[in-house]
Amino acid sequence: MSHAISQTSRMSQSGCPSGLSADKNISSSATQVIVKTAGNQKDFMVADDILVRQFKEMLLAHFQCQMDQLVLVFMGRLLKDHDTPSQRGIMDGHTIYLVIKSKHGSRSLAHSFQDLPTNDPCHWDRNTEGNSSGVHQPTGMNQAPVELAHFVGPDAPKVHTQNLEVSHPEHKAQMLENPSIQRLLSNMEFMRQFISEHLDTQQLMQQNPEVSHLLDNSEILWQTLELARNLAMIQEIMQIQQPSQNLEYPLNPQPYLGLETMPGGNNALGQNCADINDQMLNSMQDHFGGNPFTALLARQVQSSPPPSPPSQERQDHSGGLSSNTSPSDTPNKVNHTSKANTAMISTKGQSHVCATRQPAGIPALPSIELTQQLQEEYKDATVSLSSSRQILEGDLQLSDEQTSSQITGGMMQSLMNTPYLAAQIMLFMSMPQLSEQWRQQLPTFLQPTQISDLLIA
Amino acid sequence: MEPPNLYPVKLYVYDLSKGLARRLSPIMLGEGEGARHTSIVVHKDEFFFGSGGISSCPPGGTLLGPPDSVVDVGSTEVTEEIFLEYLSSLGESLFRGEAYNLFEHNCNTFSNEVAQFLTGRKIPSYITDLPSEVLSTPFGQALRPLLDSIQIQPPGGSSVGRPNGQS
Repeated sequence: MSHAISQTSRMSQSGCPSGLSADKNISSSATQVIVKTAGNQKDFMVADDILVRQFKEMLLAHFQCQMDQLVLVFMGRLLKDHDTPSQRGIMDGHTIYLVIKSKHGSRSLAHSFQDLPTNDPCHWDRNTEGNSSGVHQPTGMNQAPVELAHFVGPDAPKVHTQNLEVSHPEHKAQMLENPSIQRLLSNMEFMRQFISEHLDTQQLMQQNPEVSHLLDNSEILWQTLELARNLAMIQEIMQIQQPSQNLEYPLNPQPYLGLETMPGGNNALGQNCADINDQMLNSMQDHFGGNPFTALLARQVQSSPPPSPPSQERQDHSGGLSSNTSPSDTPNKVNHTSKANTAMISTKGQSHVCATRQPAGIPALPSIELTQQLQEEYKDATVSLSSSRQILEGDLQLSDEQTSSQITGGMMQSLMNTPYLAAQIMLFMSMPQLSEQWRQQLPTFLQPTQISDLLIA
Repeated sequence: MEPPNLYPVKLYVYDLSKGLARRLSPIMLGEGEGARHTSIVVHKDEFFFGSGGISSCPPGGTLLGPPDSVVDVGSTEVTEEIFLEYLSSLGESLFRGEAYNLFEHNCNTFSNEVAQFLTGRKIPSYITDLPSEVLSTPFGQALRPLLDSIQIQPPGGSSVGRPNGQS
């Protein structure tokens, strides 16, 4: 009765009535509308008096789905079957949104091998209540193998729509108990094919080629699944992963991942953080008793030539700080034999030391400081001092090119004048949680600070 | 037929000037406007797009806290079920996490898209126009590669539409 011509146009602008004159020629009451679905849109010409239902029938052909899966939305209103475009005020060039609902049944089975979003109650629970699994009729159990094949089939075209887990867990459990299902599940060939053909798996494999190795070998896969079930182990692995990632950040060439990768090592690290801090404080007072920073200032005057690099002084456990901490800290941590180092640093203008990275110098102190402390603890690290000095020298060169040192210089001065404050800051900052936060925020800190450095320079 | 339920749709606007943008914008843009993060609130949930894909949380539940301003977009008949399906399909196609770009495909793009789907109306133009304003300055263009790499993902949401949840 009403004929409608559909054209396909990929990137047509919505709201652009390009075919206006063409409309007139074909039919005076035809309207060109744009049907937009997720990631895709097509132009359609419809007569004004077409029923929405008939329009849906047209769309069926294009989107290969069923009538009850189509939902048309215009201006936030759902289009009912008995509506007409003119009723709804749909004019030329308007956009109608199309949502293709999933076949709920297929989704649930396809995702029985993946984690279910059960930890997001506010969304999915409401969904499950809304849609009791219509497709899962318990009486249809014998049909299950056929259904399974059927589900896998429409996966291909449908797979983009959504990944809802809709059916009740009881239904699923029931399905799984069915012997025919179990037979299927134990058929290795089928399962392997099933898993590898699932789109999500393919995406995963694209991103992570090692996964395909994992999936092919059923032994490994079984072990991996066992592992996945054991949440505690996962958490531990994640924890171990994280510090090692963060620690890599401050450009320290030393490989110190040894402890982090050991299970439980992370806890030991945490404990030793606290220990180190205490010892640091104590050593500060022990060695210098009084204002250590005035000692530094005194030395500044005498500037001795830089000692030859790796002077492997024996350090206290609280040894070697990172390059980016204030030079005022270093004397606290190191035997007086290495004071010469700091003197060297100060001769080069200690105001430059922290320049490069942190005009907001203090926030970065803890993460890198912490790194170094941990390193010390476990490596008896005399080496770190040399490395930190190397980094220092590197930084000094860099900072020579930038003039934001003025800011940090002032900061360092004030820090030196208030040693107690500095100690407090170090302690406070080296709490693990805070340092984690700083580490994560550090990249975002860096970017703007680099910009501002450029701008000031 | 029961009368259709109308669900209010709101746009939450967060002014990021307190943080990153405050440092950048006066220098770069010459305006005090700063960057904005937006999200759509409907069906008592807040939905937004970041570098981790589409996420959702209770309204005002991200680390950014309560919004700086709330814009009433309109109301929609779209039920939550349909909306979530739509979001899932968006998340698979147009709004994957890796598609995030601070200037051209960001949270405001998403909010605009969703607002149009839900109500047929767009979000206020002063929000969507900010990136193009920035890009039109020579400074903005020069810094474009750096800024392209900035990804914003307000913590506190859970992702929508993916079986293996990401944070």
